Amino acid sequence: MSPRKLWLVGVSHHSAPVALRERLALDDAAAAEVGQRLLRQVPGLDECALVSTCNRVEVIGFGDPAASDPTSIVGALQNGRPLGDDQLRSHVYVHEDRAAVRHLFRVASSLDSLVVGEPQILGQVKAFYEAAVRAGTAGAILHRVFHKAFSAAKRVRSETGIGGRNVSVSSVAVELAMQIFESLSEKTALMIGAGKMAELAARHFRDRGIGGLMFANRTFDRGVELARELHGTPVPFEELGRYLPMADVVIGSTAATEFLLTEAQVQEALRLRGYRPTFLIDLGVPRNFDPRINDLRNVYLYDIDDLESVIGENREERGREAARAEEIVSAEVESFWRWFENLEVVPTIVGLRDKAERIRRRELDRTLGALKHLGDEERKSIEAMAEAIVNKLLHEPIARLKRVQGPDDEAVLMARRLFGLDDLDDDD
Amino acid sequence: MDWVLLAIVLGLYLVAAGGFVAYLATARERLRTLAPQLLAAAAVIHGLEIAGRSFMLGHIAVATFEEGLSFLAFSLAILYLLLDRTNALAVLGAVITPLIAMLMAMSLVVSSGATELPPALRSAWLPVHVTLAFLGNAVFALAFAASLVYVFEDNRLKAKRPGRRRLLPSLERLDDLNHRLLSWGFPLLTLGIVSGAIWAHFAWGRFWSWEAREIWSGVTWSLYAVLLHGRSVGWRGRRAATLTIFGFAVLLVSFVSVNVFFPGRHGGSFGS
Repeated sequence: MSPRKLWLVGVSHHSAPVALRERLALDDAAAAEVGQRLLRQVPGLDECALVSTCNRVEVIGFGDPAASDPTSIVGALQNGRPLGDDQLRSHVYVHEDRAAVRHLFRVASSLDSLVVGEPQILGQVKAFYEAAVRAGTAGAILHRVFHKAFSAAKRVRSETGIGGRNVSVSSVAVELAMQIFESLSEKTALMIGAGKMAELAARHFRDRGIGGLMFANRTFDRGVELARELHGTPVPFEELGRYLPMADVVIGSTAATEFLLTEAQVQEALRLRGYRPTFLIDLGVPRNFDPRINDLRNVYLYDIDDLESVIGENREERGREAARAEEIVSAEVESFWRWFENLEVVPTIVGLRDKAERIRRRELDRTLGALKHLGDEERKSIEAMAEAIVNKLLHEPIARLKRVQGPDDEAVLMARRLFGLDDLDDDD
Repeated sequence: MDWVLLAIVLGLYLVAAGGFVAYLATARERLRTLAPQLLAAAAVIHGLEIAGRSFMLGHIAVATFEEGLSFLAFSLAILYLLLDRTNALAVLGAVITPLIAMLMAMSLVVSSGATELPPALRSAWLPVHVTLAFLGNAVFALAFAASLVYVFEDNRLKAKRPGRRRLLPSLERLDDLNHRLLSWGFPLLTLGIVSGAIWAHFAWGRFWSWEAREIWSGVTWSLYAVLLHGRSVGWRGRRAATLTIFGFAVLLVSFVSVNVFFPGRHGGSFGS
């Protein structure tokens, strides 16, 4: 018996351009069919499953190592959409053993994603695994690999903050607003200026359920246009002071060279709104709002640099969390790998014990059959001696087998060969 | 025996406090469920100890300084556990449980044994008065915790260094909680003072005798009255939080100093 291996063959956004990935991409039903075809066509392949998203197409398999030859696998993947072999092969990666397991765990935990920590990937991997189960291409080994991948992903999700950090100006602005306000549904945002950034921010706030949007623009028509598009209200630019007290969030993004809002103006607005907290976001360069506004009570003013520095911190935090996630994945891979190794070693030990036991029984029967005159006492001593000899002889080899590093460790292969464990006919 | 039991309670409070703080630092979900459970376990044992002691004494066990501290710690634990529902409030737990542990430790340190309650004071008004007063104090302690978190978060936001959003409640929520707690604490404090006055009237024939504790209570009451009124004229957010912290500091100082330096009728040696 040649040792079987776990392997993974694939292309992803790390290795191949979208033009190539899109030609390989499959839905889960098609992937299950390809899996079935692989099992039929590739000799020595015992189990396989495919995972295909817009960022990756991967096949994980268990079987004879010869089957992991990427050409034969990729050939099956092309599915009537032939690609040049050379073109494809330079983009394909192959992982074996632990590396294959680790790769799958990292994919499921969203550590290999384009946006690290994005939450959809786990559901996608699950759907493809379930398709493989329905199609009957995943067996005991892949069941275990995938279930361990899911539990690793869940641990990463619950024990690290890998998905919880925003890294764009608009999303950080909303995140900060949510730190000030419990809910945005009864809050009103005032957009001063109608630049691209302001529009993006307005969209983010609307998506997060802001109660009202007001648009003030120097050219009133542009304000009206934006207001119509985003279901807001246009307000006249000249009367900012009237609308300011109504605004819980104020976003400035004009190209004005002088401050649009002074400390005194905001102070007055605050008094009129009973000092309810106000969040000002200054996206303008040069700045639209007087920085001293931040000193007012219950007022928070963030300019573009402040937002960028929060983004920077979030990126660092993501990096730290990713490092913790990698540790979790490593631990889970090791735990899976110990199980997998024993799977290969244990049958050898059991086989060895079995064989010795059969020989002992047969020889005892033969000997005791010839010595019929012996009393019970003597028979028991002979049986005990036979057992002791077998145990003493096997003690060392079994102890050593239990310590071996892997299923294809030389000791395992040697033991199987020396003791003839893979021979079909029983020896006499 | 009691001492051993209380030491165990203190130990559990300390571990619970560590759990809350560790949860904030690591965001592990297991700590989030474990910490309140530890706190609840401590509170149950603590409650039994207080009940047992009250039964032995024949009156509710709040006559001495140590008993007062212990009862305040217990009320705080119960009150927090009633409020502890959402993730965001765990941050209050991280402020409240160390405070509980501190009160408990003080109670053990000043421990001097039970005092006989003079017959004149044995009245149904005793449990009414002290329960109201202590509940009021516990509610103010929670308002204090909410305010402390508010000021911390406000500072971070102003300094452009917002922390882990997931674990901290929004400012609006903290401010709202502070307001609601004050609106509960103030009537409790008022009723506590009124019931005390009525009790005093029956015991000594006077509603008010200008002893240190009564004066401090009056000061605290006025402070919270001003604070509550202030909200209607825009004392919200940071200012409300700062004043709540100040109010509780006054309350705590009066509670401790009156008992230590001016032991009148409220300070352990009743009837002096």
